[in-house]
Amino acid sequence: MLELKNVYFSYKAQSHDIHDVSLRVNPGEFLAIVGRNGSGKTTLTRLMMTLKKPTKGELFFQGNSLANATPAKMAHHIGYVFQNPDRQIFHDTVAEEVAYGPKQIGCTPEQIQTFVTQALEVTGLSHLAATYPLSLSKGQKQRLTIASALAMQPKILILDEPTSGQDARERDQLLQLLLKLHQQGTTILLVTHDMEFLSSCAQRAIVMKKGQKVFDGTVAELFHDTNQLTDWGLIEPAALKISRQLASFQISQTTSITQLGNQIANLLRRNNDHAENSPHH
Amino acid sequence: MPAIALQNFSYAYNHPKKVLDNITISIEKGSFSVILGPSGAGKTTLCLAVAGAVPHYFGGSSAGKVYVAGIHTQESSMQQLALTVGTVLQDYETQLVTMTVEEEVAFSLENMGIVPEEITQRVEEVLAKVGLTGYEKQAVTDLSGGQKQRLVLASVLATNPKILVLDEPTSALDPEGTYSLYKLLSDLNQEHGITILVVEHDIATVLPYADQFILLENGQLILNGTPESVLSFMAKKQIFAEAIPPLWQLKLMIEELATRQFASWHTEEEAIIQLGKALDEEARKNA
Amino acid sequence: MQKIAPITKLALTIFVTIWSIVLQSLPALTALIVCQLILLVIAKVGSSIYKGIASLFVFAAILAGMQYAINNDIMLAAITASKMIAMTLVFFILLATTRMQDLSAALVLQCHIPYEYAFMLTAALRFIPDFLAESKAIQEAQACRGYSPQGNVLQRFFSYMAVIKPLVLKAVTKSETMALSLELRGFGSRKTRSFKNNVTLALQDYAMLLSMILFTSYLVIQIY
Repeated sequence: MLELKNVYFSYKAQSHDIHDVSLRVNPGEFLAIVGRNGSGKTTLTRLMMTLKKPTKGELFFQGNSLANATPAKMAHHIGYVFQNPDRQIFHDTVAEEVAYGPKQIGCTPEQIQTFVTQALEVTGLSHLAATYPLSLSKGQKQRLTIASALAMQPKILILDEPTSGQDARERDQLLQLLLKLHQQGTTILLVTHDMEFLSSCAQRAIVMKKGQKVFDGTVAELFHDTNQLTDWGLIEPAALKISRQLASFQISQTTSITQLGNQIANLLRRNNDHAENSPHH
Repeated sequence: MPAIALQNFSYAYNHPKKVLDNITISIEKGSFSVILGPSGAGKTTLCLAVAGAVPHYFGGSSAGKVYVAGIHTQESSMQQLALTVGTVLQDYETQLVTMTVEEEVAFSLENMGIVPEEITQRVEEVLAKVGLTGYEKQAVTDLSGGQKQRLVLASVLATNPKILVLDEPTSALDPEGTYSLYKLLSDLNQEHGITILVVEHDIATVLPYADQFILLENGQLILNGTPESVLSFMAKKQIFAEAIPPLWQLKLMIEELATRQFASWHTEEEAIIQLGKALDEEARKNA
Repeated sequence: MQKIAPITKLALTIFVTIWSIVLQSLPALTALIVCQLILLVIAKVGSSIYKGIASLFVFAAILAGMQYAINNDIMLAAITASKMIAMTLVFFILLATTRMQDLSAALVLQCHIPYEYAFMLTAALRFIPDFLAESKAIQEAQACRGYSPQGNVLQRFFSYMAVIKPLVLKAVTKSETMALSLELRGFGSRKTRSFKNNVTLALQDYAMLLSMILFTSYLVIQIY
């Protein structure tokens, strides 16, 4: 659907902020881009949105070159959710805010009405449609920016570090929302540091290091090699680390706390029951 | 005498909407305390109350008392309190007001009227403490997010505060940056006896260092105690239970399902050792 | 140039401005410009300064062209453009060779300007790049929502609100945070304030000041 072919990019001459990256975003997938701060994750998504043009190489969307595309035109196809909602909110009500995008890209009033209603509903903001956007909570503001992007009916949704600065409750709500959108057929591209979050939603991961793509594979493959994770500046999910270390007790590897908890509890409980019951037998 | 003490403290930016409601907390000298709670619980306001900005800077209406190192904040001034409490705000980039790294640290000292010769020496010391030696002449705008964070910390540490207050210091850092910031804070806490008070969403990142958790919700103090007691309480009462870190979700789950107790878990390594021991014993019993 | 006290450079700025106004001959103005360029070379300023100067010359040339088109007097046009260059160059010298912190120290200690005002001047300069970056970030965020200003002036103005509103809001919150953080860092207790850097005058400063005064007096006497 979206393809990068040998893309290079540099902010300043001589430096290589993106170095020879090729990748393909497939329709309907849930892809995560990870890596240290400054590794080029966000630059990569900015190239996709044509906010930046590659210094070498080419990008394609549905087979068409993006050499002459502008962000305003890309807004039809890609919804980009920035980290800081305050950089885009400027209307008096939530509904008007969401309507801005579809209006800009030339939707009819009827379409706008439908798209706004749908977007507010899926993000759980319908009851706040008439509210002043700047009075919303942090988590609500973020959902508003997601709704604003969704109202333009994009095929791909890009989210730049959506969990940073969000509390645990907001983070859970975001997870549910992304899973729902993915299920409804939206292609999702997530830039994140949060490995626990990633392991509970993404299917595929790309690791960036110093502007280069150093890994592209499934999430299970990503967590395969501990040493490599450290080298990429990533943190192993707690469940995975513990299950790996306890492998000698017939505990199978998992990234899920619930699965790991059940495995260990079963081993401990079985023996407990055994000890308690033994006098009767 | 505790480092920080709030006595029935209530505060409203605009009366009558209380942001903090009848809070009583005591934080001992040398403690590493973490304020937890959902957005809008009053965590930032609590930080500002300790720094004296509430109510000195924001006005509003308040009741009760806040003592910082024995000083009654309302009877003191923010400049006076700045000598005791160093504050790193959520938007720390805006805290940087000068052009270069060394000027930034010197600025804090100039505000105190320190003589020039001493300033040079203290700037050097404090930049070494936060690991920014060699960056003296660097422009502030050229620093990375993590380096800016360290510079703010340096400019705050320059005045030798006894207490450090940090509001969500890691929200812009990557996992390695977060780890090294908390490692640094822990060193300051352990080696220099500085009392630390920090707001953090990701409890897992502070678990190895914290000795006190303060749980707030809707401006009220839900519980204040050891990390163990607060986390167990959150799970038992299902109050803000989403925030319990994976490690403790696992601990509490196994304890409940297998009806046994483990000692406190601060790190995954501790958990692995304790679980390994337990599984080993069971295996031997079985054999 | 960096060793000269900031107050001397401030005086230089004022004197050069006076000379640029008083001098009416093209050779004299050219000499003034050349002297200033030499000072910049001696001070070993960075390449970004030279880029700024290059655009200054381009701007001055356009100005001269416009004036020539109106008055049809090539001499007047050249003199006006030279005056502008001479006056602006000295600010380049001042800003490129003086650290903001030193300038504010000089303003407070020697000109007796209240510290708060001097600080505002330097802080404003510090936040200009931040402000520009913020404005760019907002434009990008809105571009991703289909923002692209077009149409007549009025339409453009209204579409530009998408950038202006968040930017103003950000500027307001930022200045509030800054004011708060300054209080938190003990700023404003002026009685006890110190300055790290030495901004007092040395022998070369007195020499420079004296020669500037003498030159100005000579010019004034010559003209009147």
